[in-house]
Amino acid sequence: MAMTLTNELPPEAPIVAPDLTLTSLSEEVSNRVLMDRAPLWWWVGFGISFALLTVLIIQLAWLFIVGIGIWGVEIPVAWGFAIAEYVWWIALASGGTIISALFFLTRSPWRSATNRIAESMLLSAAPCAGLMPIMHLGRPGLFYWLFPYSNVMGVWPQMRSPLLWDFVCLLCYILMSIMYYCAGMLPDLATVRDLATTRSKQILYGILSLGWRGSVTQWQNQRVVYAIMSAIMAPMVISVHSVVGLDYAGGLTPGWHDTQFPPYFFFGAVISGTAVIIMLTILVRWGYSLQNVLTGYHLNAMAKVMLVGSLMLGYAYVWEAFGPLYGSDVADKTEFYQRLFGFPASLFWSEKILTVVIPQLLWFPAVRRSQLLLFLISGGIILGMWQERFMFTTASLEHNYMPSYWGQFFPTLWDWAALAGTIGLFLTVFFLFLRFAPIVSLAEVREIIEQEGPK
Amino acid sequence: MKDLFGILAVFRTRDGVTNAAARLRRSGYRAFDASTPYAVEGLNRIIDPGPKRFLPLLMFAGAVFGAGLAYWIQYWDEALNYPLNVGGRPYNSWPAFAVSTFEFMLLAAVAAGFFGMLAASGLPRLYHPIFEAKAFERASRDRFVICIEATDPSFDAASIRALFEELGAERIEEVRA
Repeated sequence: MAMTLTNELPPEAPIVAPDLTLTSLSEEVSNRVLMDRAPLWWWVGFGISFALLTVLIIQLAWLFIVGIGIWGVEIPVAWGFAIAEYVWWIALASGGTIISALFFLTRSPWRSATNRIAESMLLSAAPCAGLMPIMHLGRPGLFYWLFPYSNVMGVWPQMRSPLLWDFVCLLCYILMSIMYYCAGMLPDLATVRDLATTRSKQILYGILSLGWRGSVTQWQNQRVVYAIMSAIMAPMVISVHSVVGLDYAGGLTPGWHDTQFPPYFFFGAVISGTAVIIMLTILVRWGYSLQNVLTGYHLNAMAKVMLVGSLMLGYAYVWEAFGPLYGSDVADKTEFYQRLFGFPASLFWSEKILTVVIPQLLWFPAVRRSQLLLFLISGGIILGMWQERFMFTTASLEHNYMPSYWGQFFPTLWDWAALAGTIGLFLTVFFLFLRFAPIVSLAEVREIIEQEGPK
Repeated sequence: MKDLFGILAVFRTRDGVTNAAARLRRSGYRAFDASTPYAVEGLNRIIDPGPKRFLPLLMFAGAVFGAGLAYWIQYWDEALNYPLNVGGRPYNSWPAFAVSTFEFMLLAAVAAGFFGMLAASGLPRLYHPIFEAKAFERASRDRFVICIEATDPSFDAASIRALFEELGAERIEEVRA
């Protein structure tokens, strides 16, 4: 086995529980999909999520009827919650691809049981990210003007703009993620098909699995394509989030106009994406009693990735401060002092504590073993990253070059409704994934069971 | 009575199935295939899985096509169709076009790989005669299955049964479809 980031296998912490067999793995995971009645916690969680989703629908309806004025955005702060949350959501989604694709390439054994959760999370977060800029457009019905399509107006998008790059990136990213998810999912859907007992489920999963037989040819093609796809997805996700950074770096606003932002944004994606996957993994293994598949080994490994992410983020923060403080641009300095000591200072400092200081607890193995602490630290990181994206977006616009042009952003109730609503959309889609698709990559965990030795 | 499609044997372990496949190959059988719950290493050296380099090359071709198309759209738009002078930058500003070219290149490569994988694997194919076998359904779970098709020139039901029994098959079944 190749050396990997988390290649420590103490005997007391196996990757999967030693009593797990090929038979029990398939049955345990597939039965969660095939059971006739979802458990109570699923209905409670889905109900809350769906309630939040209706908030989004109401918010969208009011936004489309009245217009973007229902939000707190105006000149000078024209980028408010929607753009900050776009970055936040796309960072969470990117984290899913990082866990899934990057650690497939490093052959990390812990990736196999968690990659499906990561990919389901990313496919739930990506629509939330995509919705945000469309809501922000003001004329959301005309978003298709971003496509370079032949039209009678003779108007074409400006291909040199980072905002258009961003649109291309997000579109490509979502399409590629769907194909990546399906390519890995095919054999597992065949397992569900073969375990299904009712006719309707046999037909449904029979169609979804496209008639997968697990023949030698099919396996070879699937493994070859999946490996190359992973090698493509890993740089892809780095480019996607870097281009989000370019949206800002391409602007001439103090605090944004800095070449470090593409990697800065990517570091944020590593930490926040891993954090949300850790939270979901803890909930899934508790809710579906999959403690023997999703073990402490997985949480330990992801906690280390999160720790590395917080160190990378801390490094980026140093350079974020170094730029304005070492440079001679008065506006840059003024804007940065505003973040440090001005109105957004409480957000600034609490965010640094949540995303860089508290995660240092993860150096202690005892913390990495405690699910409660991991859950709280992860939640803090996600909250902190939201603060960071929000402050990064608004604080710069609030303190532009001309003091006469300064302003202050205050979110309205509808801003918060958009946030709550997209969380609802995210959770609703994730709960549906949880109910209707195997939440663990069976084919890959089988290989791990076989590698760990005969039972 | 339906026609005989082939004879299927179920093995408990991956070693069982690789041994059996190697033995069948040595005994002169050609039209047989294995179905396994995961990609068993070594089986693809015994049972010919088709060309291995085809899909990577297809993905590469997809990447070249995607990059070319994306660059062409941008070049045509910004330099030929609607030239717009932005800060004196050249109409064909390739550094600005590189991002979309890169993304579209990867999208086309992944799409070529995904659909190429389905096509090369003969999917979607919702019905296959082997689905008629009762024993086959565990091949997607915890058993390793080999099926010799009746089209094999040296197909002989009795000797195949004997061979499978000798190889330690857990279960032997005639597939009729």
